[in-house]
Amino acid sequence: MPNPPAALMAAIDIGASAIRMDVAEVREDGGIRVLDSLKKGVQLGKDAFTTGTLSEESIRSACAALQDFKRVMDTYGVLRYRAVATSAVRESSNSDRFLDRILMSTGLDVEIIDGPEENRLTLSAVLEALRGAPALEGKSLLVEVGGGSADLTLLAGQEPVQSGTFPLGSIRLRAGVRPDVGTHDKWVRYLARQISNIISTVKGSIALAEADHFIALGGDVRFAGRILGGPAGAACRSIPRAAFESFVESVCKLTPEALVRKYGLSYPDAETLVPALMVYVQLLRQTAAQEVIITEASIRAGILQDLAPAEESARRSKLTQQILSAARSLGRKYQYDEEHAERVRALAELIFDQLQAEQRFDENHRLYLQVASLLHDIGLFVGSRAHHKHSYYLISQSDIFGLRPREREIIANVARYHRRALPQRTHLPFVSLERDERTLVSKLAAILRVANALDREHLQKIRDLRVAREGDQIVLTVPGAADLTMERLALATRSDLFREVFGKRIILREAPQSV
Amino acid sequence: MSPRRPAEFLNRELSWLAFNARVLEEAEDAGTPLLERLRFYCIFHSNLDEFFMVRVASLMRKVEEGDRRPDPAGLPPAEQLELIRSRAAELAGRAENLYYNELLPALAREGIRILEADGLAAEQKAYLDDCFEREIFPVLTPVALREGGAFPYIAGLALYLAVRLVPDSEGEPGARLAVVQVPAGLPGLVRLPAADGRSYCWLSDAVRGRLAGLFRGYRVVEAGAFRLTRDSELELDDEGSDDYLRMLESGLKQRKRARSVRLQYERGLSPHLLAGLQQGLEVEDRALVAGRGPLDPRPLMGIADMAGFGHLRFAPQPPLRPPVFEQRRSIFEIIREGDIVLHHPYDSFEPVIDFIRSAADDPDVLAVKQTLYRTSGLASPVVAALIRAAEAGKQVTVLVELTARFDEERNISWARHLEEAGAHVIYGVAGLKVHAKIALVVRREADGIRRYVHLGTGNYNERTARVYTDIGLLTAAEEFGADASGFFNTITGYSEPPAFSRLVMAPHQMRQAVLGLIRREIDRARAGQSAGIAAKMNSLVDPEIIEELYRASGAGIRVRLNVRGICCLRPGVRGLSENIRVVSIVDRYLEHSRVFLFDNGGAPEVYVSSADWMPRNLDRRIELMFPILQEDWKRRVAAHLEAQFRDDCKARVLGADGTYERAGARRPGAFRVQEEIYRRLSAEYDEVRRTPPVRFVPLERKENKG
Repeated sequence: MPNPPAALMAAIDIGASAIRMDVAEVREDGGIRVLDSLKKGVQLGKDAFTTGTLSEESIRSACAALQDFKRVMDTYGVLRYRAVATSAVRESSNSDRFLDRILMSTGLDVEIIDGPEENRLTLSAVLEALRGAPALEGKSLLVEVGGGSADLTLLAGQEPVQSGTFPLGSIRLRAGVRPDVGTHDKWVRYLARQISNIISTVKGSIALAEADHFIALGGDVRFAGRILGGPAGAACRSIPRAAFESFVESVCKLTPEALVRKYGLSYPDAETLVPALMVYVQLLRQTAAQEVIITEASIRAGILQDLAPAEESARRSKLTQQILSAARSLGRKYQYDEEHAERVRALAELIFDQLQAEQRFDENHRLYLQVASLLHDIGLFVGSRAHHKHSYYLISQSDIFGLRPREREIIANVARYHRRALPQRTHLPFVSLERDERTLVSKLAAILRVANALDREHLQKIRDLRVAREGDQIVLTVPGAADLTMERLALATRSDLFREVFGKRIILREAPQSV
Repeated sequence: MSPRRPAEFLNRELSWLAFNARVLEEAEDAGTPLLERLRFYCIFHSNLDEFFMVRVASLMRKVEEGDRRPDPAGLPPAEQLELIRSRAAELAGRAENLYYNELLPALAREGIRILEADGLAAEQKAYLDDCFEREIFPVLTPVALREGGAFPYIAGLALYLAVRLVPDSEGEPGARLAVVQVPAGLPGLVRLPAADGRSYCWLSDAVRGRLAGLFRGYRVVEAGAFRLTRDSELELDDEGSDDYLRMLESGLKQRKRARSVRLQYERGLSPHLLAGLQQGLEVEDRALVAGRGPLDPRPLMGIADMAGFGHLRFAPQPPLRPPVFEQRRSIFEIIREGDIVLHHPYDSFEPVIDFIRSAADDPDVLAVKQTLYRTSGLASPVVAALIRAAEAGKQVTVLVELTARFDEERNISWARHLEEAGAHVIYGVAGLKVHAKIALVVRREADGIRRYVHLGTGNYNERTARVYTDIGLLTAAEEFGADASGFFNTITGYSEPPAFSRLVMAPHQMRQAVLGLIRREIDRARAGQSAGIAAKMNSLVDPEIIEELYRASGAGIRVRLNVRGICCLRPGVRGLSENIRVVSIVDRYLEHSRVFLFDNGGAPEVYVSSADWMPRNLDRRIELMFPILQEDWKRRVAAHLEAQFRDDCKARVLGADGTYERAGARRPGAFRVQEEIYRRLSAEYDEVRRTPPVRFVPLERKENKG
């Protein structure tokens, strides 16, 4: 018998000077073990920060690299992955076409993430990497110099207090200070002046001088860490400030050609090394830190943490709770019948559970149903006539934490169809959804209509309901001998959509009283 | 100008010839069993063929291009060529004497006779006539040379007869020349009927005596054998072509017309005939080599290999199977418990084949990745297993090195088979030959992904594994697995080289790593700590590393080198290399492993490598060096290395003048390392087998019946 598949996952990061991928598995103890780390230099930043458009050549190289990465993923049978693109792609005019080309040639779905998301991922990786190290007293400056920009975050303990993204990327700096200004030394001096000019503006938004510790991330500084701090593999290395400064000084004397010869670097890596290390050292000098803590943490480590099943479910459930409480506070704002709302939500979930496997509902779908159930009646606040339409309007126009506009639109539609008309081609909000979204709305609305019918009189008569499948019927068994006439009547009219989309009848049955 | 100092370096070509001279010495050694002597004689010749095709050809090209730059030994190409030709001629002369004066008579005493045409009995002649009529004549293709016509195509290293003809009748045009290839598809030695023992005659002699019927209207007045050696070096331009395979195939065709580097001919060939050949084949005077002995002795290998005659061979040393593999357990389970080091050919190669086979057949294996440099082709069990793995839907990545010298034609067909089975076949890395020997198996296990790695110094070739000494490591250690993944991601072009934690890769890292290890010894010595270097390899050529070793010698470090072949380091020169000792072992097995031991202030480190210390290996090849970390194996590898320096039977010591002398007087009971290691391993394994594993048998209370 083959062993069961391990929890395998991959994180892909499309940066300014390279595309990288980590393939990892989740160990039994929940730790993450990186199996394969790939890196392919693709100069997207050079295009993005000079012409503003990704060149055909870069797009091709990126697709070729990702095809190779995909092969490695397939070797392990990785299905779970997240692929993100950062500043270079974000700032390019043809980023949509770029993502589409990748999707078509590799099947990989890449999302462009913004600065704050990048910082969140990086921070979570750094905190993980520093776990086990002695806690950092006071404030720490977290610095990552990329190709396009440098991300700085000031932490007080583990909490970010200030952060920002600054035009201190190594490729951007190279593009700004052309290396043909004369001798290498002269060029380095120009570069230093340029960096210090930018840093003086940084000080306005981040209190560099308050930092007691200096935590550095990024490929260039990792290289310095390896040279100064022995073999690869350690999650963090601590390099005394003086040693770091003198190393950077010695590296600055070398041209990229000399760096290639001396360290066996690739030429593009050698090109970014000097500008990047100069940024680190100049920032370091602004702080009171006596050592540089170089971590192997990366945006990919942050992604892997999110993807790890344990983390994923913890993060999800936290987010779900936040969204539901935001929905409830919206409900309270419109004076909803809280007990009815919760009752309908619970009934809807019971039915949802019965159908989940067959209909391949996922947890997002459950969430939409929960929110729609909670809020289906808030339109009553506006008026009872056609209140389902008011509910639609209020939900779609309200800002609910954690939900994207598109998701709100789906939920609003589900709420709209909790009574009266069935979804129709003539309903503008409905047809403006994508086809699969329309299907989803119909299914979730069908469940909601049934759940609502079961609490017809808003009396929460039906408690301890048991739901079971019997062939093509969904049988709801209600213990106790309450009179269910009204509910049966309501069901008869409200299960129309349910029969139509699921092809199943709903039967209400009283359970024999136990003695 | 000061008088010319003896160069700090020895010339690599002359050093190579000195190695081939040691091979010839083994053939000359009356203490070597007769058929083994014959084998060494054949190896000597085929080595020499390859040397001409590659090295001499390359020097000739340099001379032609006007390159006068001296090598590190101070010799310009033209001067090297001259020295090589005269030294090679001297050795070939020695080989010829050996063949006629010692080997042939000795073989005859054993009943193995290789007869001349005029020494055949009547019934043997009749047998040959019949044989000629039925099998040889149909495949002969005589080609007459026309005045002013193109010279016919002459294949490299094939045997031909040059024939001078005169017309039968008056009035016909004058004398003509013709060439006839001795059929390459037939055995070069024809077995003849004989009352006792075994009798043979050369196919070329059989053809020569029966040429009359081939040329109607002409009379054969003279027929002599010749053999041409051509420049073999593939010089491919891999710019702008992505179909490497097709390019290589066309490269193979091109090679057939390459320049002539040597023309061997039978002494006694008339000047007229020789001049005709020389002109037609564009051979310079210096490239002419006259000889008597068989111009192509390769068919004699068949006699050296023939069944029976055990008393004329080395006592057999059947490959040993380490007891750990005798348990009926999966090889993965065995490797998981600890590293395993194999020392071939003492240790059997079977576990390595088993490793790949198990990977192919195990349902939990996700991927097999391997480099294949020279294999036995489709007959190879490794290739068969890889094909099976690919057919079973596993991810199989094979890096095939097609430019392995002279083996290309054989490689191409099985590489296609692998591809058809669904394997991802990569035909080399542009600009770099992949010489590393590594296999990676990725397996899904209950507690996650586990990687198994085999690393070695020898090719995945079960045939050479019986005659080459090589070291292999089987490990499941995490760092090796991660590095191996990184290595394959790099050579498949999926990723840029990562920072390795265990492996050291050439190009880029290895040269610096080796220099760094030597420098560390120098630092240790200067700090008064214990320091020492012992290294074994096939060739030592790299000037930068040699200079670092000179510096180590200058720091008072004892440097012991076991260099089987070329050694450009000049040992034992005061003020340069007085602390360096170089030995070479040429014996029944071809010494092939590369092992380096660094004293490191009393915490010795042992490395094994696929690479020699030559510029081509360090700069233009993808190679791997790896440490032996597990203490027990480290001790064993070090002990076997140590034993290499104790040999006083088959070892030669390199002198400051570049000549080699026997290390010992070769008394009976002398230390012969290639037998000693076998003895040690047999004894060790027997010991393990005698000590049964502790088994825990629970004692249970006997049931009280009744």
